[in-house]
Amino acid sequence: MAENMDREPMLELFIFETNQLIDQLEQALLDCEKGSGFENSINEIFRIMHTIKGSSAMMLYDNISTLAHSIEDLFFYLREERPDNVDPSKIIDIVFEGLDFIKAETAKIESGLTPDGSSEELKAKTMQYLEQLKESNPSSNNSKYESKKDSKSDNEQKYYISSDKNAQKLMTNKYEAVIFFEDGCEMENIRAFSVVHDLESIAEIVSYYPQDIMESNNSVLEIREKGFKVVFKTDLGLDEVKEILSKTVLLKDLQVYLTDDVLEGFEFNNGTSNSNNEPSLLNEDKNIVLDGMVEEPSKTFDKKLESNKAVEENNKENGKEQAKNAGKQSVISVNIAKLDRLMDLVGELVIAEAMVTQNPDLRGLVLNNFNKAARQLNKITTELQDIVMSIRMVPLSTTFQKMNRIVRDMSKKLDKSVELEIIGEETEVDKNIIERLTDPLIHLIRNSIDHGIEMADERAAIGKPPTGKLILEAKNAGGEVWIIVKDDGRGLNKEKILERARENGLIFKPESELTDREIYSFIFLPGFSTKDSVTEFSGRGVGMDIVTKNIEMVGGSVHVDSTPGEGTTFSMRFPLTLAIIDGMIIAVGGNKYTIPTVSILESFKVKSEAIFEDEMGNEMIMVRGECYPIVRLHRRFRIDTEITDFSEGIMIMVEGEDKRMCIFADALLGQQQVVVKALPKYIKKVNGIAGCTLLGDGDISLILNIDEII
Amino acid sequence: MKKVLVADDATFMRTSLRMMLERNGFEVAGEAENGLVAVSKYKEIKPDIVTMDITMPVCDGIKAVQMIKEFDPNAKIIMISSMGQECFVKEAILSGAKGFIVKPFKEEYVIETLSKL
Repeated sequence: MAENMDREPMLELFIFETNQLIDQLEQALLDCEKGSGFENSINEIFRIMHTIKGSSAMMLYDNISTLAHSIEDLFFYLREERPDNVDPSKIIDIVFEGLDFIKAETAKIESGLTPDGSSEELKAKTMQYLEQLKESNPSSNNSKYESKKDSKSDNEQKYYISSDKNAQKLMTNKYEAVIFFEDGCEMENIRAFSVVHDLESIAEIVSYYPQDIMESNNSVLEIREKGFKVVFKTDLGLDEVKEILSKTVLLKDLQVYLTDDVLEGFEFNNGTSNSNNEPSLLNEDKNIVLDGMVEEPSKTFDKKLESNKAVEENNKENGKEQAKNAGKQSVISVNIAKLDRLMDLVGELVIAEAMVTQNPDLRGLVLNNFNKAARQLNKITTELQDIVMSIRMVPLSTTFQKMNRIVRDMSKKLDKSVELEIIGEETEVDKNIIERLTDPLIHLIRNSIDHGIEMADERAAIGKPPTGKLILEAKNAGGEVWIIVKDDGRGLNKEKILERARENGLIFKPESELTDREIYSFIFLPGFSTKDSVTEFSGRGVGMDIVTKNIEMVGGSVHVDSTPGEGTTFSMRFPLTLAIIDGMIIAVGGNKYTIPTVSILESFKVKSEAIFEDEMGNEMIMVRGECYPIVRLHRRFRIDTEITDFSEGIMIMVEGEDKRMCIFADALLGQQQVVVKALPKYIKKVNGIAGCTLLGDGDISLILNIDEII
Repeated sequence: MKKVLVADDATFMRTSLRMMLERNGFEVAGEAENGLVAVSKYKEIKPDIVTMDITMPVCDGIKAVQMIKEFDPNAKIIMISSMGQECFVKEAILSGAKGFIVKPFKEEYVIETLSKL
């Protein structure tokens, strides 16, 4: 149970790193499929699986760890043996399945659920394929990675002869030590090897049992049950020997005693002659040699290193890895909660700065030096703001690249040929937005492929290239980020949409007056779907409104446009920053409101003649030949004010999504940076208000939501 | 306090080990994500102990042990190994590594191994 408590702080890091590895792996697999060479990715896939195996084992997620292990084994084999009868697509499919399993389990962990999926079937599949490969490639040395079976039987090589160097010294005491290692310390045979290795510097090793500690892992069980026995000769006294041996790491039990007996009928040789039965090859001084096999591990090991180096060097992955490693050193990962807190504090700082520099106490005073200092302060807080904002900005590339997988899976499933083109992935967007963006994007892309793009023969029949084109584009425009999903499919069906809208009673205007855009926008309403049948991907009518909700939650908006027969375009707009905006403060009655400066086109004083009314009684104003509706804020928000005559107040022309209008207010008070704070939860949503803020003089100002006012 | 250099290509592993060590009175003086960085960091911080992962990109653990031992024959290096890497651990011990820990590791074993160096 102590282990469980230890897991908690590492959980986030585990999830973060595993997700990173999952993304890398997916990219590698997609590259393989596109034909950039299965060979090149073998090493990368091996290492990713190895790392996932390690960390999931540490976190006790054995279903993930054992699956990763089996795929690692498969790729180790592929790397070492390079069999020629490999079917890349079969292997890629196996790894994709494994990847999806690990992804799903990690998602469970992230949501606080138990990762209880079973990887048994997948493991079996992987191991079965590996066995098949091994069987059909018998010439290779299949056991290099696994424990070597002792080629000679146990009876033959019973002992070995230590290096000549020690043989000449006079060794007066002969000891036998029996060593038990701690339970669960693993690799007991290598630990025994280590003991012998260390003993050699102070003693002459006579014999030890089990003897196959280096070439086979079979001795592990024997050592666990009966302990590791070693007989050696040394000048040192019993106590000294005990002291040295008790320094052995992970020692559970140690017994040392003087002995004259030989070890279980073995004969010992005091090193004067090699002419006895067994060939003991001495290679280097300190090496313990048995069957001349020590050379092999070193050789094969070097060979492995060399061949891997060669592959890696010819590999573009090498460049990528070095870049990754280089990049890794100049990048750190930061806890998102800390960043949020930092943003909040910077926001508070902006408000506090305004409260100092625009303090009512200072009104009317001549403050040259103070103003100079205040400007300097402002310069610094502005720069601080910009940097904090940019820290939270993340390029869209990861999100966009994820879509490759979605497109691949869907086109396979629906048997359509679709090509995804990504433009502007380096465009950066606030981290909060990225998180809200993924689901809508997936949904829109699925829709495009499911509804929009036609089957290859249908396309060919109307003269379109058989492969459908899906464009995913991101760009900066003004203070916003645009994300566009465009396909060249069959477009939206106006008639069907109108019909469905009629059925659901959604039409609010006489049909003849509906613009195409308004008709297409019906699809964003909840429950709307023109698909007659429900497929795995769409038709349930719950997708589009989730898309809209997600986008609106981060202050964005989405629109759709379409040309029948040619395609459909979805455009999403997001504000660059959520928290601090440039605002124009206006007065209405005794209240102050803030209009985001990005929405303001111009402001001006009016002469009453330019105003008239349209046929429905709405006030309109003519500016440079164009007509704009007027919104009297005092009426809209029902505020008492003395300024009701247009000539006494001020007109502010604002632009929403694609409509413009003029807002009538009492006066303009000034422009300042404003920290957007959400309305407190106990206040219900007010149409037309986006949030509120604290001004420099201590007053509260409500921030207008221009789109809702229009 | 003994200074430790932690070398492993997985951030997760380095952090796991770091937390274990810091809880038990060791100072993690540096981290390295591959063998080359391990060698250069070793020369820079001259730690008392190094924990060295075997499988790392660019330069693996065994090579790094050999290079560090060349620079400082008294270097105390513990290998971090997975099951199945027996022959690599052997090679490491023959190259001068003082001991090894097997993943997934138990905290008590890690601390005991490092303390006994």
